[in-house]
Amino acid sequence: MKNKFALLAVSAQKINRQHLQMILVIVSLAMLVLGTGAPTDGGGVGQ
Amino acid sequence: MILLLALAAGLLAGLAWARWRGQTYQAPELQYLWLVFVAFLPQFVVIYLPITRGTFPEWLVVGCLLASQILLLGFAWLNRRIPGMSILICGVVLNLAVMAANSGFMPISPQTASRLVSEERLLDIQTGSRIGAKDILLHPEQTRLEWLADRFLPPVWSPYQVAFSLGDVLIAFGAFWLLAKPESSIQLKKRGIPL
Repeated sequence: MKNKFALLAVSAQKINRQHLQMILVIVSLAMLVLGTGAPTDGGGVGQ
Repeated sequence: MILLLALAAGLLAGLAWARWRGQTYQAPELQYLWLVFVAFLPQFVVIYLPITRGTFPEWLVVGCLLASQILLLGFAWLNRRIPGMSILICGVVLNLAVMAANSGFMPISPQTASRLVSEERLLDIQTGSRIGAKDILLHPEQTRLEWLADRFLPPVWSPYQVAFSLGDVLIAFGAFWLLAKPESSIQLKKRGIPL
């Protein structure tokens, strides 16, 4: 039982870490494309 | 918006590809992630953050914008071995070149801008003034490297109108590729490409 809990904890930690890493990569890529790209639509005009 | 759509499309394609092959999706293994946050921060403050944008002198906005883009280019260069990043780098270089050659902003012609805003609103904006987040209204004959400016538009019937440059196209394609077909460091090592 104790082993099962430990295994579950390790798995949860792994999933969280993988998800967190993926979110971090996607957020970074979003910043990269927003920072380097320069398309313009009607929304920001005149601000 | 259009660039974020490219990212979302790339992610969806990557997830579908991984599922089809019965594998777990692996995001690209980017190095020096901290550099993106540091590089984007000045641009975020002077361009995007509603409470601070418009409060800085133009020379500072230009300085922050160009410095931010150079740092982001540095980040992309450090990760150049990841598939798709080389295409993205080409796009960044093209955008950076045309912006640096035109007072630090992306030029857009009145003719192109007329598809984005009404004629009355456009008449209020003088040539050489900023328009949108990073653009500057310039006639094509006043524009340096005009072929790299925001000159492309979707078809007239499209409900979403946006002007974009050749650099933007490459950035979108590179971003799509990065997420659609990432390779892990193990796969890269197998191909003999050190990270």
